Amino acid sequence: MSAPATGGGGVPGAAVSKAPTWAPGETWRIVLSMTLICAAGAAILGGVYLGTERYAEASRQRNERAAVEDLLSLGPGATVAEIRQYLSPARDAVIYRAGGGDAAASAEAAAAAREFVFALDGTLLRSGDVAPAAADAKGLLPLGRIFAATRAGAPAGFVVEGEARGYKNRIRFFVALDGDWRIAGVRVVEHEEDPGLGAEVATDWFQGQYAGRGMEDVVSMDVTKDPMPEDWRGALRRRGAADGREWAEQFGSLQSREAGHPIYAVTGATISSRALTDGVRATILHFRRRWALLEPYLHDAAGGE
Amino acid sequence: MSQTILLPERPPSAIALLLNGIFGENPVFRLALSLCPAVAVTTTVANGLMLGVAVLLVQVLSSVTVALVRRGIHPRVRIPAYTIIIAVWVSAIDMTLAGYFPVIYAQVGLYVKLIVAFAIIISRLEVFASRMPLIPTFWDGLGMGLGFLFALIVIGAFRELLGSGAILGHAVTAEKPLLFFALPAGGFFTIGILMALFNAIERWKCGGKAPAATGGGAHG
Repeated sequence: MSAPATGGGGVPGAAVSKAPTWAPGETWRIVLSMTLICAAGAAILGGVYLGTERYAEASRQRNERAAVEDLLSLGPGATVAEIRQYLSPARDAVIYRAGGGDAAASAEAAAAAREFVFALDGTLLRSGDVAPAAADAKGLLPLGRIFAATRAGAPAGFVVEGEARGYKNRIRFFVALDGDWRIAGVRVVEHEEDPGLGAEVATDWFQGQYAGRGMEDVVSMDVTKDPMPEDWRGALRRRGAADGREWAEQFGSLQSREAGHPIYAVTGATISSRALTDGVRATILHFRRRWALLEPYLHDAAGGE
Repeated sequence: MSQTILLPERPPSAIALLLNGIFGENPVFRLALSLCPAVAVTTTVANGLMLGVAVLLVQVLSSVTVALVRRGIHPRVRIPAYTIIIAVWVSAIDMTLAGYFPVIYAQVGLYVKLIVAFAIIISRLEVFASRMPLIPTFWDGLGMGLGFLFALIVIGAFRELLGSGAILGHAVTAEKPLLFFALPAGGFFTIGILMALFNAIERWKCGGKAPAATGGGAHG
């Protein structure tokens, strides 16, 4: 800036080349001035954070709920129950909490949550109601959430939250499973992969490769560096824009042809492709085991209402 | 910035300050400040509009804050102090948008955080807000914010029309006339062309003489 400096405590007419003279105690006044400004700024930001955080959280939850409904193509009339999974602080038990918790979202969700605690070998240690405020208590390690959709009392599919270790940082994703344990869709919801390379795993065409694979395909699901066949690539690129049912009619045979094939890696981003694929497989296999344990108890709980 | 309206005996009027921000000392076209974001964001009118409004808010809030608390800011550390004040307002706006306007935030969230480092804001704090009373400072901040907003909209319209053949997302031509203008280099050419236009108007108004106040250094 060409503007002259203000103040500065310099003597008028003092040569610029000389080292600035410091009045006694000036250092302390500078420290005091900066400390006060920083403290005031911190107080203001703290207040704004307290005022806005619950709305930001609510909007995150709305987005997630929309992603779940979109992945499972749920129409009106379907309900989605959220189940949170935790590892106990001592890492010797898995805790499931159904209902409650997100008191910010709605009043009925603020009702008491049901909790099921399983030992690692699958035996039920205890179950019962917990206060909603106890959700996300300290020391519990979140293991991701399960969204269980039901329509007219019948299960309509699940969305399971999973995490994979990507090229740079964790990749967080949702896996949607339909009633037959077939992948209905995969959606990356958070990642820090490189733009143009690893970030391509979050595109519709890459994620579209997972849809339609059954449980036996998932168990052996691998990644290949082979180029993707052109007809399959064309079909996947049209997947996001087209209506789901129309797409299935047109490309269903192609999808079943590819279901047994490995996932075609993003060019130049095999690590990210493999990370997501391994993560999807592990998430589904874990979920299948846990759900077999949990389901009978959940039914009892639902029947009691 | 030698022959500007700064440091007069009496603070200039509100109208003069507003016009000065939009035309006389337009941040982009005359002061050539914050060109980097002005190029990066303005591929469409809508993007320019959203960033411009965010800058307008931060500029007014920061200018007013500095005018209010400048006695508490030690002159030797005024630049760090200004940076903290700007950062506080940017963070507050960022959190408010994330909380109350998630749809808008999804589009501008990335840009809002960058405003902390915008040269135009800190230069107005140093040049104007730190030495003028509260009321003129408010009008100066508003004028500069409007000037930046105006510049981003004009650049955005120019580039969207030529680069994508559309205005506000509505296609007006069948194909993309000059894709070059949607690319970053095209952004600099756009600013250059518009800057020349501004200078030509100034020269015409001054009766053939070269304009006095031209661009300073092109800071981020």
